[in-house]
Amino acid sequence: MRLEKCWFCSSTVYPGHGIQFVRNDAKVFRFCRSKCHKNFKMKRNPRKVKWTKAYRSLHGKDMTQDSTFEFERKRNRPERYDRNVTEQTLKAIPLITKIRHERQKKHITNRLADVL
Amino acid sequence: MAAFLRSKCSSVGRTLMGGLGNNLFGAVNSHVEAVTRPSYCDAICQQVRTFIQMRTNLKVVDNSGAKRVMCIQSLRGKKGARLGDTIIGSVKEAQPRGKVKKGDVVYGVVVRAAMKRGRNDGSEIQFDDNAVVLVNNKGELIGTRVFGPVPHELRKKKHLKILALAEHVV
Repeated sequence: MRLEKCWFCSSTVYPGHGIQFVRNDAKVFRFCRSKCHKNFKMKRNPRKVKWTKAYRSLHGKDMTQDSTFEFERKRNRPERYDRNVTEQTLKAIPLITKIRHERQKKHITNRLADVL
Repeated sequence: MAAFLRSKCSSVGRTLMGGLGNNLFGAVNSHVEAVTRPSYCDAICQQVRTFIQMRTNLKVVDNSGAKRVMCIQSLRGKKGARLGDTIIGSVKEAQPRGKVKKGDVVYGVVVRAAMKRGRNDGSEIQFDDNAVVLVNNKGELIGTRVFGPVPHELRKKKHLKILALAEHVV
């Protein structure tokens, strides 16, 4: 089971959700919901659609560079099962998410503070 | 008519309608691709894809010599064939020197379908076009190469040769 990213809005696609579209050049586009799928069919560029992560990262609205993103890098090597490692990973995941959210909030407040 | 169409596709294709509105008033063209009639484009984007049935044209993606095949019978399902099913088709267009000729009646396995197919994990997969690989009535491939991506629904249907020859298994 793998949590994929929606091609259009970059949100996570959980199992049982969404549609995969395979183009004839074998490129797979995953969508989290029909909103993203329909926007794709309309040939909209996600970098120009305001509510997508692509737009927000491009225009500096959201945090892009951070060490917390390194944890989510896609690794194609399967890890040998080790109970301790799994346990510690499961404990670490909420902590890392919390830190990431804090940093993202800080980024946004800093940006708004600069504007005002 | 323009008002009716505008209300019909209000939530979807707003940019397209905007572009068309400009065209109707003879104003500057928007950045949207050239669109002549809104109903056509709306239909293309939101087309409901259905089964592969009689008279469906399918692309042939192997090197058996045929280029296009028209389905004359789907061997499974009352409503038509889906991804991974076998069909009987008539070759409509063929390359000059190939193993099959125009007008031959052939069997084919659907390897790409524009209709969504559900998978066991709950996700759905759809392809860009309808494509078929020619097979004889025993299930053996006529061609020796398969082009384009194929789904692994074929594994369950025991078309392992197609999966082995495919460029890309999705």
